[in-house]
Amino acid sequence: MSNRMLTLMMGFVAFLILAVGVVFVIALAGGGGDDDNGGTPASSDKTPGASGSSGKICDGKSLIVPGDDPSSVLDPIQVGDVSTSEYVVEIFGGLVTLDPDLKVQPDIAKEWSVSNGGKTYTFKLRDNVVFQNGQRVTADDFKYSIERAADPTNASPTVLAYLGNVVGVRERFVNKAASVSGVKVIDENTVQIDLVEPSDFFLSELTYPVAFVVDKKTIEKNPRNWTQNPNGTGPFRLKEFKPAERIVLARNDRYHLGAPKLAAVVFELAGGSILTRYENDEIHIGYFPATQLDSVKAGTSPLSKDYREVPEMATFYFTLNPQKAPFDDPKVRQAFAMSIDRDTINNVLLYNAYRVADGFLPPEMPGYSEAVHSYKYDPAKAKQLLQESKYAGKLPRITLTYSGTGAAPGDLLVAIQKGWQDSLGVEIQLEAIDSSAVLREQRKGGFQMHSDGWAADYPDPEDFLGKLFASDSQLNYIKYKNDAVDALLTQARTEQDRTKRYSLYADAEQKILDDAVVVPTFWPVNHLLVKSCVQGLPNTSMTIPKYRYVDIKN
Amino acid sequence: MGSEPGALAATEIVVFEDVQAPARFRTVRQVLKKKVAIIALAYLLLFYAGGLLAPVIAPYGLNDQQLSVEKRLQSPSTDHIFGTDRLGRDLFTRVLYSARTTIIFTVVITLSGGLFLGLGLGLLAGYRGGWIDTAIMRTGEVLSGMPTLLLMLAITAAFRARINGWSFWLEDHTFLGEDSKTLVKFLIISMATVPFAWLGSCRIVRSQVLAIREESYVQAAESMGASTGRILFKHILPGVMPLFLVGLTAGMAGIAGAEVALSYLGLGIDEPAASFGNLIGDVNGTRLFNDYPYLLIVGAGPVILFFFSWNLLGDALVDVFDRRQNQRG
Amino acid sequence: MSPGLSGYIVRRVLWAIPVLFLISIIVFFMLRLAPGDPVDAILGSRYQEDQARVLKEKYGYDKPVYVQYVKYLQNLAHGDLGVSTRHRDFTASEVIWPKVWVSTQVGLMAILITFGLGIPVGIYAAMARGTFLDPLTIGFWLALDAIPVYVLATLASWFFAVKLDLVNLSYRGVWSPNMIVPIMVMALPAVAGVARFMRASVIGVLGEDYIRTARAKGLRERTVVITHITRNALLPMVTVVGLTLPGIAFGSIFIETSFGIPGIARESLAAVLAPDYDVILALVLFGSALFVFANVVIDVIYGVIDPRVRVGANRGQ
Repeated sequence: MSNRMLTLMMGFVAFLILAVGVVFVIALAGGGGDDDNGGTPASSDKTPGASGSSGKICDGKSLIVPGDDPSSVLDPIQVGDVSTSEYVVEIFGGLVTLDPDLKVQPDIAKEWSVSNGGKTYTFKLRDNVVFQNGQRVTADDFKYSIERAADPTNASPTVLAYLGNVVGVRERFVNKAASVSGVKVIDENTVQIDLVEPSDFFLSELTYPVAFVVDKKTIEKNPRNWTQNPNGTGPFRLKEFKPAERIVLARNDRYHLGAPKLAAVVFELAGGSILTRYENDEIHIGYFPATQLDSVKAGTSPLSKDYREVPEMATFYFTLNPQKAPFDDPKVRQAFAMSIDRDTINNVLLYNAYRVADGFLPPEMPGYSEAVHSYKYDPAKAKQLLQESKYAGKLPRITLTYSGTGAAPGDLLVAIQKGWQDSLGVEIQLEAIDSSAVLREQRKGGFQMHSDGWAADYPDPEDFLGKLFASDSQLNYIKYKNDAVDALLTQARTEQDRTKRYSLYADAEQKILDDAVVVPTFWPVNHLLVKSCVQGLPNTSMTIPKYRYVDIKN
Repeated sequence: MGSEPGALAATEIVVFEDVQAPARFRTVRQVLKKKVAIIALAYLLLFYAGGLLAPVIAPYGLNDQQLSVEKRLQSPSTDHIFGTDRLGRDLFTRVLYSARTTIIFTVVITLSGGLFLGLGLGLLAGYRGGWIDTAIMRTGEVLSGMPTLLLMLAITAAFRARINGWSFWLEDHTFLGEDSKTLVKFLIISMATVPFAWLGSCRIVRSQVLAIREESYVQAAESMGASTGRILFKHILPGVMPLFLVGLTAGMAGIAGAEVALSYLGLGIDEPAASFGNLIGDVNGTRLFNDYPYLLIVGAGPVILFFFSWNLLGDALVDVFDRRQNQRG
Repeated sequence: MSPGLSGYIVRRVLWAIPVLFLISIIVFFMLRLAPGDPVDAILGSRYQEDQARVLKEKYGYDKPVYVQYVKYLQNLAHGDLGVSTRHRDFTASEVIWPKVWVSTQVGLMAILITFGLGIPVGIYAAMARGTFLDPLTIGFWLALDAIPVYVLATLASWFFAVKLDLVNLSYRGVWSPNMIVPIMVMALPAVAGVARFMRASVIGVLGEDYIRTARAKGLRERTVVITHITRNALLPMVTVVGLTLPGIAFGSIFIETSFGIPGIARESLAAVLAPDYDVILALVLFGSALFVFANVVIDVIYGVIDPRVRVGANRGQ
C-alpha cells in the first residue's frame, strides 16, 4: 500500500506545484495590461520626474488613494476615529459643514438664526435636498437622526461629546427620557434645537458625523446591515465595500452643493509600501509617516517634487504631572520645558516640516493668538532653575511614558531625551504603555511625565483648553487646578462675543503654559505625495468632505 | 498564532546535552576538520567578542547623537566605518551593542531552562508511554493552542509598569548595571515564550523514540534486561541526536531571531537600548534602501551572518554525528 | 481502518472538548484581567462616564466576568462568536472568516512551494553527501533562511518593484501577479528547514539495515531511493507537515504587514493590540481546534504509514 500511496502523495504535491505555476503564468499573461500601469521605464528611480503625471493613472476620473480599514460600520453615529469619518463625511451630510478653511457653511440647512441668548438655534432647510435614493430630506429626518444618536440602545460613542449640550440628549442617553425634548420640528423645512447653555461653537460640533442625517426607512428596512448600502446626502455614495480590501465611492450626481468632478474615489485598504506604489503610478496620493521623510526629501529622491505638507490641527506635547515629584516644583517643570531644542530637531530630523509649537493651540485653530508663547530653548537658564529648585542635586528617577504597543519611541523622543540629559544632566527612562491601557492608567492619577498629542474634534479652543485643563474636566488627568484659568475657561465657554471669547482663551492658554504643566513641542503636519494631475485637493487640517473639490486633469 | 514555515524553526527550541565526554571531544575535532564550520565558528567568535566587549571597543557612546544635517545619515567613512543613523549615532557602535543584546538574550533563554523541556519531556513521553505520554502531549496541546503573541503582550503589559522598578533595583544592588533593564525585559519575554516553545521538538523527539524503541537492537537490549538509563543513553539518545541537533542549531538562530523580530515589532527591546530589531526597523523601507542601502546592510548584515553561522555550524555537527553513527552501525 | 484505529480517533477527538473548554476559560479571563480596555479604546478622547457606562452595558462588560463567560458559552452554542469592538458592530465571524480564507490561500501556495522544493532538495543533498554539492545546496537555502522575512520583503520589493519595475505592490486579490513576490518571500526561506530536515532524515535511514539489505539484494539504486529510503525518511516529515498545516490558516504577520495583505495575521495583531475580546477568543478557539485536529491527523497518518507506531501509541492509552 505505502509504495503506491507515496507515489500518489508525491504526485499530488508535484501536481499542485504545477497548478500554482500555471495559474500564475496565466494570471501574469492575463493581467499584463494591469501590470503595465507601473510601467514607467525600468530607470524610474534614476530619472527625476519619471513619477509625474505621465502614466495611465491620470487618464479617467477615478482617484485612487490608500485608506485605512474603517474601525466601525459606516454609520454616522458609530464613527469615532479619523480614518472612518473620512468615508462617512463623503457619504453623509448634516445641517452644516466645514469648508476647506474650516469655516462653518450651510449644507442641508440654507440659513439659521440664533435666539434666546444663544440657547436656541433655528435652521431653515433647503427644499431640494434628497437622499441618494431620491427621497426628500425634511425636518422630521433630523429629529429622527438625533433621537437615534441619543438612543442608548444604539450606544453611540460620540453623542455626548458633540451633542451633549442639546437639551434632552443626555437624559435620553441615560434612559431618563423617552425622546429628545430639545429638537423640535416647526414645519417641514424648519428645525429648532435648544441648548442647555449658550455655546458659540455649537455649529462646529454639528459638523461632526454624529449629527448627520440618516434615512429612517432605509434603516428600519434593514436595521442590521443597512450600512452596507447606506443612504446619505453626501457628495459620494458607497459603491463597494470589501472590508480590509477596498472602498469605492461613486459620484452623487444629485448632490445639492454641486456634483463632484470625480467619477469615483477608490480607497485601497490593502497593499504594500505606499511610497513604492506611488512611485510606480499605482496611486494618486500617498500618505506617509514622518519617519519616512528621508526617503522623500533627502538626496535625489524623485518623490520630493510631489511632496506636500498638510497641516494637522493637532499639538504634540509633554505633560509634567504637578501631583508627582519632582514636577510639583514649578522650577523643575520650567527647567524641563526650557531644555528641548525644538528648532534643531525640526530642522535636522524633520526637514523643517513640523512647526515648533510656540503655544498650545495650533495655528489653524480659530482663536489662535500669536501673542501666546511657550518657553524658549534656554539650557543655561534651565540648568540654573533646576539648581534653584528644591530637588537640586537630589532628583528622583524620572520615567517618561508614551503610549503605544508595538511602537518604538521614535527619533523625536530619543533626541529630546538626549537633550535633557545633555543640558540638565538628567537621564530620563522611556517607557511604553499599551495604548488601550493608557486611559485606565491616566484615570488612576496620570503619569509622572507623559508624551501625548491632542487632535481637534471640532475647530474651537474649547476643544483643547476646556477639555484638557479645566479642573472639573474628566480629561484633566493630571488634576491641574489654577483658579484664574478655571475662571477664564468658564467665562469663555458661554461667552457670546467671539472676539472676547478668543481673547479669554488666549489669556488662559498663556497662564497654562507659564505653569509648565504642559510643554508643547510641535504642531505636526501630514506628509503627502500628490500627483501633479490631481488638482484642487484642499490643504485642510481636519477631516472634511474634500473629494468634491478634486479633479484629475492632465 | 502567526506560525508559518519559518516560525516553525523558532518554536523548535531544543538543547544539546553532552552524551559521552569522549565523544564530545571527538565531535569537536571532527567539526574542526570542516572549513565551512571553521569560518562559521570564527565569525561567531568575532560576534560574541564584539558583543561582550562592546563597552570597551565601541568607538563612540551608545547614544552619542550628532544632531546636524551634515553629521546624520553619513555613508561609511574612516570616522564611522558603518556610517551614522538618522540621529547621527555611530552605527558600528550600535551594531556592537545590538550584538550584546542578542548574546544576553540567547544566554538568558538557554539558562531559563525551558529548552530542556523539549528533549526531556520528549524522551519521557516516547519511552515511558502510558499516562505520562498522554499527560505531556495533551498539556502541550493546550499550551500550543494558546496565542503566544497575545500572551506575550498580556504579560509584558501586566509587568510593564514594574519593569523600571525591578531594573532599578537590579542596577543598584547587583553588578549588572546598565544591562539590568535589558535583562528584566528578557526575563519577561522568555516567561511568555518558553512554556509554548517546547512542543515542536518534544513531538519530534517523541516520534523518533517511538520508532527507535521498536528497532531490533533496542528490543534485544530490553529483553536482555538492560537498565532504562542504559537503553535511553546508549541506544535511543544517539538515534534521536541528529534530528535533535538540527533543532538545537536552528533553535539558536531561532531564539536570537525571536528577539530581533519582537524588537522589530516594537515589543522587545526599546530605544535607546540597541537591538538588531530596532536597527532594522529604523531603516527598513523600500525607498530608503534605494537611496541609503548601507543602512539596511550594516543593520541587518551582522545578524544575518550570525544566524547563517549557527545554521552552518549545526549542519556540520549533524554531519559528523551521522557519520559516526554510520561507522558504528 | 481497523477498529483499534477508529477507537483511537474517537478518544482523541473527545479529548479535544475539555482542551478547548480549558483554553477558552483561560483566555477569556486573561483578557478581562489584562490592562487593555476595549471601551477605552473606542472612546479615547471622548471619554465620559455616562458614555462609558452605556457602551459597557451594550457589550455586557458591566457584568461579573463569570456571568459574561456563561453568556459567551450560550452564544457560542448557537454558533455566535460575538461582536468585534475594533470593527464596531461587525460580528466576529464577519471579521474573521474572509481574512482566514485569504491567509489560507496564500499559505497553501507558499507551503506547497516550500515542501515541493524542500523535499527533493533534501533528498538530493543527502544523496550527494560527501561531494561539494551537498553543502553548496544546503548552504544556499540556509543563507536565504538566515535573512529575516521583513528584511527579505524589503529587498524583494525593492528589487522587483523599484529596480526592475516588474511588479506592482497594490493588493489585487490573492491570485493576482502582484502576489508572486509575497508568496516567494514567504515560501523560499522555509525551504531550508524542510530540506535540512529531509536530508537528516534520509541520512538517518541510509544507515538502516534494511537499506543495506535492499542494496545487497541488488535492487536498482532508483528503486532503493524511492521505495525504501524516501518512504522511510518521509515518516518524521509527517510531523513537520502536520504541525505547519494549521499554521497556514493564520498567515504570517511579517508578510501580511509588509505587503499589506488583508489576512488574518494582521488582523490578529491588531485585535490583540486593540484589544478586541471576541475576535481574539474566536481566533484562539479556531486555532486550537485546528491544532488539535491536525494532531489527530498526524497520529492517524503515522498509523497508516508505519503500523508499528500505532501499536506503540495504543499501548499508551
